[in-house]
Amino acid sequence: MTNESNDLPQATEHRLEELEHGLFTSDLSVNEFLLIKEVGFHPVGFVMGSSIYHTGIQTRKWSQSQELTKLTEAMYNARELAMTRMEEEAAELGADGVVGVRLDVNYYEWGKDAAEFIAVGTAVKAEDGISRLNKLGKPFTSDLSGQDFWTLRQTGYMPQGLVMGTCVYHIAHRGLGQTLGTTGQNVELPNFTQALYEARELAMTRMQDEATRLEATGIVGVRLEEKSHQWGSHTIEFLALGTAVTKTSDDVTLAKPTTIISLDN
Amino acid sequence: MSGPPPPRTTLKDEVRRALESLAATPTTASGVTSDLSIDEELNLHSIGWEPVALVSGVSLHSIPFGYWNWGQGEIVAASSAFATAFTNATARLVREAGSAGGHGVVGVHIEQTVHSTHVEVTLVGTAVRPVDPGARLGRSVFASDLSGRDFTMLMVAGWEPLGLATGASFVFAPRRSMGTVLQQQSQNVELTNFTEAMYSAREAAMQRMQEAALEMQGTGVVDVKVMEGPMSFAKHAVGFIALGTVVRLAKESHQSIHPTTVVSLNDASVAFDAQSLG
Amino acid sequence: MADTPRDLPEAATRRFADGSFSSGLSVADFAACLDMGLEPVGLVQGFCAMQWGAFTMSGMGPGLNPFSGTQGGYVQNYQCPHGMVSNEHRSWGQNYQQNWIEDAWRTGFNNAYSRMMQEAQALGAHGVIGVIDSENPLADTGVVEFHLRGTAVTLRDLQAPSETPWSTFLAGQRLAKIFEAGYVPVSIVTSVASVRVWAYCVTEYLMEGTGGLFSNYGGAAEIVQVVDAQNTVRDLVRSRVRSSLHGDALHGAHLEVSVREFAKGDLELQSRLSGNRVRRFKDFDPLPVARPTVRLS
Repeated sequence: MTNESNDLPQATEHRLEELEHGLFTSDLSVNEFLLIKEVGFHPVGFVMGSSIYHTGIQTRKWSQSQELTKLTEAMYNARELAMTRMEEEAAELGADGVVGVRLDVNYYEWGKDAAEFIAVGTAVKAEDGISRLNKLGKPFTSDLSGQDFWTLRQTGYMPQGLVMGTCVYHIAHRGLGQTLGTTGQNVELPNFTQALYEARELAMTRMQDEATRLEATGIVGVRLEEKSHQWGSHTIEFLALGTAVTKTSDDVTLAKPTTIISLDN
Repeated sequence: MSGPPPPRTTLKDEVRRALESLAATPTTASGVTSDLSIDEELNLHSIGWEPVALVSGVSLHSIPFGYWNWGQGEIVAASSAFATAFTNATARLVREAGSAGGHGVVGVHIEQTVHSTHVEVTLVGTAVRPVDPGARLGRSVFASDLSGRDFTMLMVAGWEPLGLATGASFVFAPRRSMGTVLQQQSQNVELTNFTEAMYSAREAAMQRMQEAALEMQGTGVVDVKVMEGPMSFAKHAVGFIALGTVVRLAKESHQSIHPTTVVSLNDASVAFDAQSLG
Repeated sequence: MADTPRDLPEAATRRFADGSFSSGLSVADFAACLDMGLEPVGLVQGFCAMQWGAFTMSGMGPGLNPFSGTQGGYVQNYQCPHGMVSNEHRSWGQNYQQNWIEDAWRTGFNNAYSRMMQEAQALGAHGVIGVIDSENPLADTGVVEFHLRGTAVTLRDLQAPSETPWSTFLAGQRLAKIFEAGYVPVSIVTSVASVRVWAYCVTEYLMEGTGGLFSNYGGAAEIVQVVDAQNTVRDLVRSRVRSSLHGDALHGAHLEVSVREFAKGDLELQSRLSGNRVRRFKDFDPLPVARPTVRLS
């Protein structure tokens, strides 16, 4: 339990205290709860972090496809802040990690220039008392469900952290004008292709860099999300998310699975 | 010396025997009503529990006029109206279940609506009890939104549900001041005051749920759901509701369930809907 | 084969004379049917259009004299605690059960149901499975159509019952599991209860959120009159269904309540409970605890 001053609001202190005194809360389903227990972990508490961030759109050249770096930074920093606070709550509870992490973005009445970024999950602790903190000495985070966490443990791997890379890209408008000339033909649209390719690569590379910092062996469950948020259809955020993992043991306890044919509708 | 094993009854034989029995006068009376599916009922049966009665509880609590207008901080009238409405609805549900001889209510469907003038909470579920009269304890009746299957798995693992815990907080979202702040500040910065307001409200809802759990002397809250969003009738007001089932260990320690892994050979199929006819 | 009942449209007679069967079952449900030894013999339906504008008292207008319940159903009175205030002040309110609506509904539903069962009997069916029941109000005309349909089935070499065939909402695997669990379906059950709420002053103030001069009663409080009506309308339909079970059990029940607001403080609550009436035919013999699995896909 750390006594370092952290970033969390007053209201959190009291709630975490109750959790430290023995009550656990978890947003895992009953199935996930039972599977976490199977691999020797116990839920400690529901943890969350949030940040309201100014994400106003920056000026850009309409005719050029380019990354909007200020926006990329904003989207990244906002999520990092939310994740960091969630990790701090987990650290307060003496947890080894957080499973089932969900990242959400909420827009309220204040319009498109600001949004609330939220990270929530269930903090867990290993029952054998051996620390499972990651290479940076912090609780691991992962967006794995209880079922995926159980399955991962059967393969001898351990999550290190939820890794993400983001890129906010503006697609040139002139590119659209050029395409109108080619309407009806079966032809590749080089501007679009190039722009989207580059954006996705940037997002994935940044995600991999985070995994490298955690000295991970690999990343599982990677998904790429594309959202325009509130910026109109020519500006898209590419977000790559995954869980970085390392091999902790050579034993693979995953028994040969039984094959079934379900008779239910 | 043992004789040959008795012939296995097939499904067809069971159905025939069942339908033949319709002609006879019924011998066992039960009067049981239940909204559980047959799967849930079979799950309960496997741990020696049975449904008893369909039960419900409803409560409406008013919110005095004017509380949703512009303001700052928490809308206490709304938070307390919600808490009271939920408590009253649960009390009624549990009382009905107890009168029917139930030990608890499972699969509770929860409908909670916040209107500008009142909060309405409706709970419907099936009261259940152990089949064996000897196994019936004198504990207070629990309510839970866990399905029959989740209840069964929890009990098999050595845990028991104690009740539903909920916590709510309603706050004014920062708004008017937001516009001026955005103009003054450059991009890519956090808006710390606003962050604190929303964060605190969310934490308050969770904390109230925890307190409710502690009052029931539970060790944990599982399957927590957090619902949040602006009110449809007042977009500047935001509500946070946390809800979960309170549990504690009933056996000495957690019992491992030893799951096996399976690979399904089903392809995904599109369900045919008979209601599309006519 | 029973004589074709007189009540059915001529088209139904022609359809049955045809011989081949249609059924509302999906492929999986059809297969499950045959597994159980049940053979589908035809799609059956029953229909009834009811008007009950003539039955209601809502023509009396909102906010005027509440009906003083003399029908012997649920009635609950609410007295104003304020003393004489003004003509606008609702010094008296009442919740009451609207038996005439419940009776009209029951007539409509039973007509539709018995017509469906007559069609089944005409086919020599043993039972009707996969029943779908729909009620469609025809907007603003005060007419409600009841439409019930299902798949009639027979059991080979078993005599069809002399009274009405059995019926159930279930089909397919869910029906098979009912039998395996030791239950036999008897009939579908659906019932409604209707409660009218004429608000008195306290309810009115609480619903409008005004404390006004009467802040003792208009402040934050449980809205007792509406809570009573909400809980009672559910209790009424449950008791009615329970007494119609004659000791059998109700499985897979569905309870829903709808609220109509005619005017401020003039509400109508209607509850509807439907389910499968089933009976035990063999002793309680539970399966062992299911084996938990984690699916890799």
